[in-house]
This record gives sequence, C-alpha cells and structure tokens, in this order.
Amino acid sequence: MKTPRISPETLLVLEGFIERPTEWRYGYELSRQTGLKSGTLYPILMRLEKYALLEACWVATEEGVPPRHTYRLTPNGLEVARTKLSEARPRSMVRQPAFCNG
Amino acid sequence: MLEVQLRQAATVLLESAIRIAPPHTRDWGRAMMGELNYVEGPWAGTLWALGSSGVLVKQTIVSLIIPSTGNRDFIPDGGLFARSAALRKAALAIGAACVLAALLFFAAPPFRQAFRVAVEPWHRMYRLAANNHEPDFASLARRAELHHDPEGLAFCAVRFQNPSESVRLAEEAVRLDPNLIWVYAVVILRHPEIREASRWIATLERWDAQNALFPLIAAESMGRTESPPGVWAPSNQDVESAWRAAMAQAFQASKFDDYFDRVAELNRKVVPRYHYYDPYEVESRIRLDLPSPVIEASERFALSLIHSGQDLEAKGDLKGASEQYWKVAHYGQLIDAEGHTAKEHWSGDSLQAMAYKPLKALAEKEGNSTDAALFAYLSSKFNPITGEQREYPGESAFGHETSERNAAVVQVSGLMIILFSGLLVIAISILIVGSRRRARPGVQRAKPVATLVVLTSAVGLLFSSITLYLTYRPYWYIFQTAILNGDGAQNRDLQEFLGSTQTLPGIPHRINVLVEALFYSGSPGFLFYFWAGVTLLGVFGLALIVIRRFLGRPHSKAP
Repeated sequence: MKTPRISPETLLVLEGFIERPTEWRYGYELSRQTGLKSGTLYPILMRLEKYALLEACWVATEEGVPPRHTYRLTPNGLEVARTKLSEARPRSMVRQPAFCNG
Repeated sequence: MLEVQLRQAATVLLESAIRIAPPHTRDWGRAMMGELNYVEGPWAGTLWALGSSGVLVKQTIVSLIIPSTGNRDFIPDGGLFARSAALRKAALAIGAACVLAALLFFAAPPFRQAFRVAVEPWHRMYRLAANNHEPDFASLARRAELHHDPEGLAFCAVRFQNPSESVRLAEEAVRLDPNLIWVYAVVILRHPEIREASRWIATLERWDAQNALFPLIAAESMGRTESPPGVWAPSNQDVESAWRAAMAQAFQASKFDDYFDRVAELNRKVVPRYHYYDPYEVESRIRLDLPSPVIEASERFALSLIHSGQDLEAKGDLKGASEQYWKVAHYGQLIDAEGHTAKEHWSGDSLQAMAYKPLKALAEKEGNSTDAALFAYLSSKFNPITGEQREYPGESAFGHETSERNAAVVQVSGLMIILFSGLLVIAISILIVGSRRRARPGVQRAKPVATLVVLTSAVGLLFSSITLYLTYRPYWYIFQTAILNGDGAQNRDLQEFLGSTQTLPGIPHRINVLVEALFYSGSPGFLFYFWAGVTLLGVFGLALIVIRRFLGRPHSKAP
C-alpha cells in the first residue's frame, strides 16, 4: 500500500482525526484543533484523499449557506495513522524532560 | 463596515482562485469557501482566504506545467480553454494577430538591423567556435578583389583583425589607387607591430610631409621596441635622441591629420555599394583613436620642453623660454583644432593649459599685465580638471549608463523573440497534431496548455518586438546619418551601445571580463563544446517532455 510522505504537520492532522476516528470532521475545526493554517492543512487533506487514506463528503447545512465538506479517515487511513503515530511517539517522548514540576 | 468589506474581499479572492483552478481541485476550493463562512473574525477570514487561494494557485500552476497531475476526472480537451470553444478561438485569433503584427516589424529596416545587433553576441560565439572570426569581411574582401575595387579593399584593410591580411589588402588597395595611401596610416594605428610600419611611414612622410602624425607614430615605435610592455622609457641614448628628434618634428609640424574623416568617407561609399548595413562591423569593430602611448609621449615631450624653458628663464633667456613654451602651446592648438576624437581634443587642451601657465608667469615677469591676464584666462579655460567643461566632438551624448541599459534591453528583447518563436512553433505543432481525430490522449490533454502558450508567446513576441524596435530606433538614425550624410557626431553613442551589446546584460563588468577571458581568449574548441553541450541538454529535456506528454497516460487512481 502506497503512503504519502508523512511530515510533522501531517502527523498533527492524523492525530486530530484519531482522537475521534469515526466522526466526520470539518476543515476549519481541524485547523483550530491542529493550529495549522488553511494553506498548510488543505494540501495535507488533498494528499491523504489522493492516497485513499481519507474520505470526504458534502453535508447540507442551513438554507442559504453553502454545504460543508467533511472528512474522516478510511480504515486504511486509520491503520496508517496508528502505525505512523506509534512510530513517531517514542521519538517525541525523547525530547520531553524526564522530570517536570507538577 | 471594515469587517464586511474584508469578508467580501476574502470571498472575492477565493472565488477568483476557484475560477482559475483546474477542475479536479475546484471541489477543494469550494470546501475551503464553505469553511470561510465559519471562520471567526475578519482578519482570520482574510488569512483563511489568502492561504486557500495560495493552495489553488499552486495547483493551477502545477497543472499548467504537468497537465495530467491529479487529473483523475480527465475529460479530453479539458482545462482552461475547454469550457468555451469561443474562448479558445478568440485566444487563437488574438495570438495570430499578435504574430502577424510581430512579423510585420521585420519589414522595417530598423527592426531587421536591431534584431541582427541583438543576436550578434551569439552569432559571434558560434563564429569563434568555428574558428572563423571574420567570415563577412573575408567574403567582402573577396568581392572587392574580384571587382578590383580599391575602396572596398581599403574598407576591409582598416577593419581586419588579422594584421597580415590587413597589410595585404592595404597594399593591394594602394596599388589600385595610390590616392588611398593614407590607409597605411590607419592600418599602422590599428596594428603598430607590423613589419611594414617603418617602410610605410617613410612613404607617408614623402606624401604628406607636414603631418605631425607620422613622426608621432615613428617615436611611438621607438619607445615600444626599447621598453618592456606597458613602460614608455627609451633606455638607449641613441634611441632617446632619435625619439626626441621625432617628437620635435611632430611639435614643429604645421598640420595634424589622423585620416579618420577619410575612413568615414570610405564608409559612406562602400557600405551602400555592398549593402553592408551592419552597424557593429562598420562602426564598432574598430575604435579609431590615437594610441594612448602616443598621447603620453606627447605629454612627456611637452613637459621636457617646459622644463627646458624654465631652465632658460632661470638663466635670463626669456625669449628662448617663451619659444619653448609656445612650441607646446602651438602643438596643443594643432591637435585640438584638427583632431577628430574626444581623446585628441582632450590632449590638445591639456597641453595648452600646460603651456599657458608658464607663459602667464613669464608675461608677469616682463610686466605685461594684459598678456598675463590673457594667459591666466586661457590656462584656466583649458585646464582639463578645473577648466570649462567642453563638449568635445565625438563625445557620448546619451551617456554610458543609457547605452548600457539600452544594450541590455535590446539583448533581452532579441532573446525573448527567439524564445517565444520557439514556444510558438512547439505549441502550434501540438495544436495541429491534436486536431486530428486519431490524436493520442496525451496530445489531446496538451491542447489547452498549447492554446495558452500560443496566446502568451504571441503577446510576448509582439511586446518584445515593439521594445526592440523602440529601443534601437535612435541608434538606427545615428547609423543612417553617419552613412548617408557623413555626420558622425553621435557615433560615440552608437559605438558605446554596440560595445555594450557584446557583454552579458545585467552582469557586473568584472564578471563580463572573466567570461570574456574564459570564452574568447581560450580555445575556440572549448566554446564550441560548451554550447553544443547546452544545446544537446536542451534538446534532450525537450524530447523528454514531449515523450511524457504524447505517450503518457492519465495517472491511475492511487490505492
């Protein structure tokens, strides 16, 4: 299975999805959660979708307001996210101090 | 109020980006637009729209370069010009009109000349690579020889870089028409090292006995043979005496003629006769002027005369001192009055200033206040540093910076014309091949991009042609005036401009010198292999793009 290049920002997005893996998520919501701007977030979402790690669908909103695009990880995406995050975690833990106040 | 305006601006920006985006990314654009309604705060909304537009623009650019990128919902002949056949036809019509207008420029002689000047540096490189530096002159000389045309031969003789060929042609020209003997003087000024110099000078001195030029050239050759390169100091006593005698003869001469006006007259006759309207070869290949060692020798000899006058003055021989000073003043007046170049006028002025200063002191000593005041005025007037800023004939009117800038514009415009023409040929070929029913999908896919390339290249071609024409037109007038009317007042501007077109635009002079040293003074073979390598790489890259475009399939869906 081909996977895209996983950058630290992509990891952030995958982490955002994996918190509630079954839920459909909005772009702006993901942006706020990960702190990524639209110019960074959307290319990641487009790439994940291209590799079929993400599925997208339109949902109707109130009348007069355009529909919204929502996203969720596919089963493949979920598996890749878990693998990549578990690979990344030990490395990120090394960077944290061994002891901290509180 | 501001909030509403910012929100509106953000919406318009994102909508515009969606409009130009490739079809497969428009859904993503709409997704970003949908979210914009939920972004809180006007500035945050604007930033969201800016970031989103950036993503779409990037996708647009990528899809223009690689049309198949991410294009899973591929529709044949889709893309920028796909939705409207009328739009595509309009684009092609505008492109055709621009190409036609650009081609019409070639009907104008100034434009043809401008284009030739613009591509001359590249033409020159290939000539150097082929080790054939002067093919045009060689052919012109052959024609002149065939027609037994002494003026044509003299025209080539004063321009040839090869000294032996220059000597051969000059002798043939003088054999056919003895009145062209002055050509010897110009050839010696260009190639002072030739063996025939002393024989020719003797002949010239018999022909034009009063001309200061020949003793000056003779004195220069004595200093050159006796001194190491770059040093002007005759070491041998006999040579020093001979040198002083030659310089004294020059300072006593009643006329000075460098024959540069005869060269201009020769241009007027020969250029139309052979239709040789090449400003670079006619005006810029040779810069006619007195060699710097001759000017320096004049100043050195003038200084020695001033010192000798001061010695006589100290001994009380005021008449003898005055004669010495006047020799310098007369020679300065002669060079200034009869010289043709800015360097000659400048030298004449500085020699006069050098002479009038001690003449003023001498007049004061003699109690002649009227003469003293006159000499004081003349000394200050001709002082090259503090004196009046005279406009010498033959000086640049536009200024060196303007010439350099115009040269860069002409070079870049010429290159752009070639580049856009190449792009047009490729894009039109793609459109022709793509219009066939059995065209490969790759060609079909490339058609919208090819339409865009036709439009932009045609506009670029027209713009470059207009720029080239307008920038070069003043220089065309200068060349025409010099050739048809013999008025070379602005030749210096043309020469500076043409000189600048021989260097790479926008690159500091030192780097240009380095490039010149690397490419022009080394082996011509190296230059040839360098450009052959660049050309082959270009062809290889182009072939790779064409193969990918024509034979490539739309990308299969990723797993």
